[in-house]
Amino acid sequence: MQFLIDTIAQVQWQQVVMWIIGGILIFLAIKKGMEPALLLPMGFGAILVNIPNSAVIGEGGIIQSLFEVGIEASEAMPILLFIGIGAMIDFGPLLANPKMFILGGAAQFGIFVTLILATLIGFSPANAASIAIIGAADGPTAILVAMKLASDYIGPIMVVAYSYMALVPIVQPTVVKLCTTKKERRIKMHYNARQVNKLTRILFPVIVTVVAGLIAPSSLSLVGMLMFGNLIRECGVLGSLSDTAQNAFSNIITLLLGITIAFQMQADQFVQWETLMIMALGLFAFVFDTVGGVMCAKVMNLFSKNKINPMVGAAGISAFPMSARVIEKMGIQEDPSNHLLMHAVGANVSGQIASATIGGLIIGLVKALVVI
Amino acid sequence: MLNFLLASKLTPGNWENLKIALTILWQGLLAIFVVIAIIIGIVYLVNFCTAKAAQAKKKREEAAKSADSDDVTER
Repeated sequence: MQFLIDTIAQVQWQQVVMWIIGGILIFLAIKKGMEPALLLPMGFGAILVNIPNSAVIGEGGIIQSLFEVGIEASEAMPILLFIGIGAMIDFGPLLANPKMFILGGAAQFGIFVTLILATLIGFSPANAASIAIIGAADGPTAILVAMKLASDYIGPIMVVAYSYMALVPIVQPTVVKLCTTKKERRIKMHYNARQVNKLTRILFPVIVTVVAGLIAPSSLSLVGMLMFGNLIRECGVLGSLSDTAQNAFSNIITLLLGITIAFQMQADQFVQWETLMIMALGLFAFVFDTVGGVMCAKVMNLFSKNKINPMVGAAGISAFPMSARVIEKMGIQEDPSNHLLMHAVGANVSGQIASATIGGLIIGLVKALVVI
Repeated sequence: MLNFLLASKLTPGNWENLKIALTILWQGLLAIFVVIAIIIGIVYLVNFCTAKAAQAKKKREEAAKSADSDDVTER
């Protein structure tokens, strides 16, 4: 009868911790509705890979095989997900008011501040950069950067990145209120609802790809796929492909990505002191992204006749469309007639482009400066 | 805190790593804002050109319409 308790006898306390973490992720996904499409597969995967002698890992194990083919070999899954994201995004509000693009760039500030802090704490440049990119508020970018830079903390980075994205409605209002006065939060913005020309919509993804590619070629895998998805959406002749990219394709990749990245959630890689630090640094990155966006809007107001509500700057992080919705809600709370949604969406989608570009830039810069 | 750090693989206060991080900071920020500035410039240019083209098209249509109505009046 020994065979019945063989596996039970091999269970280590770290694996039990991972079961609990897996359970918490499943709970958050189902009960709190936090990024359920990813947290649920990740939570279940965390339990699956932390059972001793699990058949899903090791030679020929399904999760290990999916990881090796779909993520490790070419980072295909997170990159392909960008086609779906691009197909979902309407850049119209940004094209109608291109200066919102600046807010998307400024709201990546937290990435760089966190990079410095993580380095000071003692993480290597590759690990510090992988942790800092949590501030991109963009799960696939975080996965790609951590993989490309061969980070030692891929599992914790993935979990923290997706968990904090789900916490945007809690983190951002607090930070925005600390950085702005009531008067600033009540600034009304006029929205020029002019239709953006179809030609502009078609040219935009091509222009962004060429410009980002010429200045930061390492960002092309992310930006290129994002813009490819958007071109499919905007061209007007690929309705069926656009629909597939937005729905079926994105869903399949998300499903596989969630369960596959659980491969990195094995107890020996996850249960370590550094995971707690990564959680703190991830929060720090999100906070300073928000601060960067808000402060940038305030600076722009010094030079602009048409004032920007500084809260819109906070939507420059790329947690799309959650951040824009949070800002719209905050605007209405301050003044029920103040609708900031379209401006916030403009900043939000610019954050999507900026975070993908920065992800690529950081990969390129770290690889150029450090021997990995 | 010190014991906590010692228990990990971290090497706090590494000046060489900090120099690399600072290089990534300035080069990364510069590059992203250059990319953004160029894209903003091109988008404004495209918006300007398409608006001009639409205006010219409208004028041509109006001119054609008024020419048609002149013809009808003359007849």
